[in-house]
Amino acid sequence: MIELEHVSFAYPEQGPSVQDVSFRLEKGEFVAILGANGAGKTTTVRLIDGLLRPTSGRVLVAGADTRESQVSERARRVGFLFQNPDRQICKNTVREEILFGLQTVRADEGEAALQARTEEVLRDFAFTGEEEPFSLSRGQRQRVALASILAVEPEVLILDEPTTGLDYRECCHIMDRIRRMNEEQQTTVIMVCHDMEVVLDYARRALVMAEGKLLADGKVPEIFRDSALMERASILPPQMIGLGLRLGGGLENACSPEEMADAVMAKSNKKGGAQHA
Amino acid sequence: MIQIQDLSFTYKGEKTPALQEIRLSVPDGGFLGVIGPAGAGKTTLARAITGMIPHHYPGEYYGSVTVNGLDTVETSLNDLSRQVGMVFQDVESQIISPMVEDELLYGLENFGVPREEIPARIDEALGKTGILNLRDRSIASLSGGQRQKVAIASIIALHPRVLVLDEPTGELDPRSSRQVFSFLKELNEEQGVTVILIEQKIMLLCEFARQLAVLSEGRIARQGETREVLAHAEELQALGVNCPRVTTLSMLLTDRSGTPQPVCVNLEEAEQMVRRFLP
Repeated sequence: MIELEHVSFAYPEQGPSVQDVSFRLEKGEFVAILGANGAGKTTTVRLIDGLLRPTSGRVLVAGADTRESQVSERARRVGFLFQNPDRQICKNTVREEILFGLQTVRADEGEAALQARTEEVLRDFAFTGEEEPFSLSRGQRQRVALASILAVEPEVLILDEPTTGLDYRECCHIMDRIRRMNEEQQTTVIMVCHDMEVVLDYARRALVMAEGKLLADGKVPEIFRDSALMERASILPPQMIGLGLRLGGGLENACSPEEMADAVMAKSNKKGGAQHA
Repeated sequence: MIQIQDLSFTYKGEKTPALQEIRLSVPDGGFLGVIGPAGAGKTTLARAITGMIPHHYPGEYYGSVTVNGLDTVETSLNDLSRQVGMVFQDVESQIISPMVEDELLYGLENFGVPREEIPARIDEALGKTGILNLRDRSIASLSGGQRQKVAIASIIALHPRVLVLDEPTGELDPRSSRQVFSFLKELNEEQGVTVILIEQKIMLLCEFARQLAVLSEGRIARQGETREVLAHAEELQALGVNCPRVTTLSMLLTDRSGTPQPVCVNLEEAEQMVRRFLP
């Protein structure tokens, strides 16, 4: 679905921000790109989106080189949810916003079909359509931005820190909806995210970056258990994995508090009677 | 010392109050974490403490807020700003200079800090926020996270007695966020600066704040020592506030073992708790 072949990118008058990165993503994957500020994560997703063209190497999306493909073609295939929804919302009502997104990339289907699709998406997100995006909360505006991207049914969805500024409940709404899209429509999801608990809960594969280079590529719980790698990439693993690593003895396999509690009780010789310190 | 008595506030033109009957006191040198779902009134509370409400934002105001003995309604914003520094959620609206060093200089000059003292203050603030290397950069060339650090540095250079921060680490990666929290802790413990920190990063907040206030729909749903508040994890979750996973583990182990477990807020405590279960 997506292939990066020895991709490097340098912003003008700055050092390289992505250096010789290669990886391949299959359809239906849910991948997180991890790393500190300045590791090259956002640059990498912009290269996939075609917003940036590689200085050297090739980026292929569905077999097409991003240097040769049309913007309209890429926009149809790849949806991009920015960190700040206000960078992508431009219409006065939610209905207009969703319809506008469809008109820009699916105009060939005719206005009636696009209007029908808009109503379908509004129902799905429980919007009336009359809401004014800029009088909604940030979490709601992020849902508007997501709705207008999902309406287009992209094959690839890129999320650049989608949960910044959202409260816990809003974060779950957004991420659960994205997971549904990934599972039901096999949408390939690529997410840049600083919240390792969110990564652990939702992503299945992780690419770890530092100083523009790809340090590691692996399955999500395993990658967090590689302490040396986490140190090199300046990442703090999710709490339960961090705790499991301190304790060892098989407890490092627990990912959630529930799994940890089960594993602890199974090993405990004080069932029903642990002492309170 | 910050004392809020029965504060209710409704923004001009709005029907629903943004804050209702808030009663809260933060001792000198306290470290209060404020959390709550979007729209709960967190930013409004910060504005009320810094005096921006009612001076900048008109509306219906009941009750009172005093900061180090100064009533925020009667005291001018200029005088209040010498007591309370605020770091805004929206960094873009806070930064006004094109260059990093100028941004710090601007506040110091406005405060009438003697010229010979200024270079040391700038060094100190940039050093503590870890951005000495950005001194001569233009703001436009900085990342969101770097801008956040500049905004924080420009406020702490002014040596406020009270520091109010509204989600100051939104754009920072986990390591930088932890650095900012550690640095706030240092200011709080070593210089006795009172810190009021609004945050969604519950894990960090619970590790660093000694007191927590949970806001919901304009009211304080719970306040108290951090652990005491976290002991009501289920109630918090019903309000849309998550708790750290180590705290969830405390609750689960209490349920499953039938023995009350301590409310853990960090990995060290969770490790100790679990080790008592292991043979």
